[in-house]
Amino acid sequence: MASMDAISRNLMLDSLREYAKRRIPFDLIRELDEKNEFPADILREMYDRDTLGVHLLMIPEEYGGVSGGTFDIYRICEALARIDLGIATGVFATFLGTDPLNQGGTEEQKEKWLRRIASENLLVAYGATEPDAGSDLVNLRTRAEHVVKNGKIAGYRITGNKQWISNGGVADIHTILALAPGGPSWFLVEKTMEGFSANKHEDKHGIRLSNTAGLSLDNVYVPAENLIGMEEGKGLLQAQAVFGYTRVMVAAFGLGAGAEAMEIAIRYSQQRIQGGGPLSEKQGYTHKLIVPNYVRLEGARSYIEYTALRLDSGEHGLQTEGAIAKYGASEWGNKAADDAIQALGGYGYTKDFPVEKIKRDIKITCIYEGTSEVLEMTIYRGRWQEHLKSRGRYYLDMADRLDEVHAKEPKAGAHAAALALRALAAVLEECRVHKLTRHQHVTFKLGKLICAAETAAIFSTAAAAQKYSETVRFDREGWQAMARIFAREAALNTAMEGLALVLGAVESDGSLADAVNIEAIQTEQRGMMADMDLVALKLKQAFKAK
Amino acid sequence: MNIVVCVKQVPDSTEVKINPETGHLIRAGVPSIINPYDHFALQTALELKKKHDFKVTLVSMGPPQAKSVVQLGLALGADEGILLSDMAFAGSDTWSTSYALARAIKKLGKIDLILAGMQAIDGDTAQTGPGVAQQLGMPQVTFCEHVDVDGRRIIARKLIDGGYEIVEARPPVLLTMIMHKDYVPRYPSFLAVNASLKKPFHVWSAADIGAEPQFLGLKGSPTQVDKIYPPPQREKAAMFSGSGQEGMAKILQIMKAEHFIEE
Amino acid sequence: MIEVSKKCIGCNKCVPVCPFAAINMVDKKAVMNEACTLCGVCVQVCPVQAITITREEASARDLSGYKGVWVYVELNETGDQPQAKKIKQVTFELLGAGRKLADELGEDLCAVLLADKNHNYDKELGAYGADKVYMVEHDELFEYNTDIFSTVIVSLVTRHKPSVMLYGATIQGRDLAPRVASTLYVGLTADCTALAIKDGLLLQSRPAFGGNIMADILAPKSRPQMSTVRPNVMKMNEPVHGRAALVVRESAKLDKSLRRVKVLERRISHDGGGVRIDNANIIVSGGRGMKSREKFRQLEELSKLLGGVVGASRAAVDLGFKEKAHQVGQSGTTVSPKLYLSFGISGAVQHIVGMKASDVIIAVNKDAGAPIFNVAKYGIVGDAHEIVPKLIEALKK
Repeated sequence: MASMDAISRNLMLDSLREYAKRRIPFDLIRELDEKNEFPADILREMYDRDTLGVHLLMIPEEYGGVSGGTFDIYRICEALARIDLGIATGVFATFLGTDPLNQGGTEEQKEKWLRRIASENLLVAYGATEPDAGSDLVNLRTRAEHVVKNGKIAGYRITGNKQWISNGGVADIHTILALAPGGPSWFLVEKTMEGFSANKHEDKHGIRLSNTAGLSLDNVYVPAENLIGMEEGKGLLQAQAVFGYTRVMVAAFGLGAGAEAMEIAIRYSQQRIQGGGPLSEKQGYTHKLIVPNYVRLEGARSYIEYTALRLDSGEHGLQTEGAIAKYGASEWGNKAADDAIQALGGYGYTKDFPVEKIKRDIKITCIYEGTSEVLEMTIYRGRWQEHLKSRGRYYLDMADRLDEVHAKEPKAGAHAAALALRALAAVLEECRVHKLTRHQHVTFKLGKLICAAETAAIFSTAAAAQKYSETVRFDREGWQAMARIFAREAALNTAMEGLALVLGAVESDGSLADAVNIEAIQTEQRGMMADMDLVALKLKQAFKAK
Repeated sequence: MNIVVCVKQVPDSTEVKINPETGHLIRAGVPSIINPYDHFALQTALELKKKHDFKVTLVSMGPPQAKSVVQLGLALGADEGILLSDMAFAGSDTWSTSYALARAIKKLGKIDLILAGMQAIDGDTAQTGPGVAQQLGMPQVTFCEHVDVDGRRIIARKLIDGGYEIVEARPPVLLTMIMHKDYVPRYPSFLAVNASLKKPFHVWSAADIGAEPQFLGLKGSPTQVDKIYPPPQREKAAMFSGSGQEGMAKILQIMKAEHFIEE
Repeated sequence: MIEVSKKCIGCNKCVPVCPFAAINMVDKKAVMNEACTLCGVCVQVCPVQAITITREEASARDLSGYKGVWVYVELNETGDQPQAKKIKQVTFELLGAGRKLADELGEDLCAVLLADKNHNYDKELGAYGADKVYMVEHDELFEYNTDIFSTVIVSLVTRHKPSVMLYGATIQGRDLAPRVASTLYVGLTADCTALAIKDGLLLQSRPAFGGNIMADILAPKSRPQMSTVRPNVMKMNEPVHGRAALVVRESAKLDKSLRRVKVLERRISHDGGGVRIDNANIIVSGGRGMKSREKFRQLEELSKLLGGVVGASRAAVDLGFKEKAHQVGQSGTTVSPKLYLSFGISGAVQHIVGMKASDVIIAVNKDAGAPIFNVAKYGIVGDAHEIVPKLIEALKK
């Protein structure tokens, strides 16, 4: 679905934020976090179509929803994450659980189930994960056996266990992945069905406001019409098809929670006096704990938006892009939250300030919907194919395009981003020549380098654009400085880490040091200090002490 | 009855910052919101609509993105929205703004009641409401916190210095609203936002409302801004810490030093 | 200019309402004479919209001949009891500020008084610096009414052409001034905190954006240059008793039909024997940090000992610790006492806007990072609940 107009989207965001301000104050969140409690009444209210109806974003207008696109969903997910990642996860689970229906449901199924979810404000859960099948769904153990009546398949009997299901203990409807005779398939299971039960709510490190439980299905009878798509064996395809944008949602979580932690730290730093002045004016504080983190998150944002807009324009899959968006946003968000604790010092370590909780919560974004390691592999696989297919031109071509951007707008860091991409192309080529991808470590590390270099390219392109996205909270001067900082860091890391990676695995590196052009990348670092000073100032202006 | 509510989009003044060197406002990143007093006026109108089935039309003036506050009102239940948007309006002070709003309201036909916020939080002037009333030849009641309609009687509770009055007026009349303390601003559901896209909304230019150019914008505005600058900063407070006896002694000492109590 | 179109049906409604008796019926059509001031009252009452007023273009105006600094005299509101109204303090503050402007311009300082009866007001106004008092006494002026008062002011301004006119930025002043400005098509600057003369023009300074910025405003092309001025900001002069102002009596023709808004009921809260926070010298204020209504009462005892009054933050009012009349801040009252002593107020922007003009601010709060310390002269990081009783004890001795 294409996204809606910006005004409508922002009105929905305002409604969500205002609701949270009124109904979900930090004191309540802290108490629920302490008690490990799912706020059922709040979730019900957020789903109430006359109050908010957040779940309607995932439901097309013709079934009573509001037809949100990926960009809309990213914005709402970011806002949810700023409120509480546990509550956000509760909403996300419904989005995810509704997804197989949206993707593979027949017209009748959509009419029936989507309309019910929309109008009855139902909570949904997505039941894929099993004790032995996480991101790798091939080891699926849950079975769906035919129940034949009058020679026809009247229904299925499902037996198996699901693990770590968000909303598991509270959802009204579960979309359950099970192995039918024809292959993995999705089934709609209602919580009232006989033989279905939820296990105890997990005691988690973070997102403690989200209900997470295992599910037991003991010979649960499901009528044939509850097989999504009315065809067996489509389950994995239906699951894979949506990874692009489900990962954009989790990326938005990492971004939102990380940025929230940073903004708390920035506001705090202007009030906290140390050694005669506020922390916000000390480079030892800002240039270490604040600026690099915020810049990375802005990079992640630009990549998320780039992916979301492509999905909204009708492209399908984009699994590698979804993986890059999520991997960058969650890892950088996690690091930002960690540094936010450091930034608040002793206060940050207490439960009186929200950063401690954000740090615990945000870790999940590096784990669910594909762990960071699975994503490193996914990113590597996707782009390695491109590298081979293009005979090494993939990133060189991308770098050429960045040169064109640089020629038009020299202040957006496009030159540094091009250097990063060319260094990346050289490293990939060296890995091909020496067959280094037989080392798993090399492949995963390549995934990491690709993420940073591509994000640099997208960030610089966005910062060079005439018109900025509605989400950019900084002026042109500030945002371009951020793009430059990001691109310089990406170039430096790609060259240094790439070189080290190759050197660690082969006897001779040929002329890789020249190929990654370390000298040019080092020269490109000129102006970094002034840019960091500028960004520190812009952040202080944007997030004034309250 | 036909009700018009005047709404304005304003920068959230709690988020406005100023560049201490240049004295300019830093607008980047400051969220735009509906003026809170207008939000209250809107809700008052919508409550009257619910009770009496009145028609509520929103009128706003601003750049194209100010459509946002009109759409908010439509999503909350208003029937129709008008946005006055034209470069010719740029630079209008309260006189010129009142003139344009009055022209637009005139074009809407017979209006019985106009509600507006007492003031906007960006300018804090409280002049536009009375200006519109004057230009339309209507009586005004300012600083109202409650409105009731009983047949053709409009009864308002308005603040005066040191107390309040209950006043009565006959339509047409313009009321400006302050927020009373039990008021909680409402926001629309996602469905309502979506549905608001289908309600009538029009953008009118200066020509559309038959406004005469010499009364608009900077040219038509009697007041002009000479200079904008940051408010003078206070010196940092002299800070002490101490509860109980210690804190008390400190306060006594300060009050003696400042001659509020005798030695 | 004013025009009467063919739509005029000769209904005669406009004739009696004209304050200047400027309309005559000629052949069943309204005709204006030279007494017309373009005040617009006739436009308001015309049932068929036959009368239109076209304002002259700004640049074409003749600004010479506008002389004098005028101050609108605001009388206090009274409840149901018939008692003589008093002149509000803000009027004297305006006379203090207006005196300087008039002296610099070399013009007269004039007070404009609208009342049903003069209770020696002119004496007081003279003592506070007015050179002249334009006085309109009329039964219909027994209480403030927008239509009636604005009509009279417009006619006086049109007749006597002042160069500057000041009003208090009170509820009444902010109701009246924009109505007048709109009728006359002149500039009006709201809520000024400073006034000066710059190249012969009135330079008006005012805060905007919730006090985040200051703006200087000019109205070069129209007269009078009008301002509403925030109470408790301008210094009033010491009264010189016996200094007399020249009283200029003006008449106004006012009709009951002008009173389109009728007051059904008026309530004035007579709180603490009439002591009000907006002109108190000492304010002892409490916020959410006072925890309960009972503990808040201690502040009343403390303020009594200091000879002050009690203020409250919006949070304290919302929590029911104190009545709304005591609320300090943007949505309450702006105050500028000599001493502002606050307990348990963290200092939200909207509170600070309302009290930062105080001479000396002493703030007590547990949180060293509370924003109130940014405007305080003295900050005590400590527990109000421990300090307040000790302070009461010490002051009793």
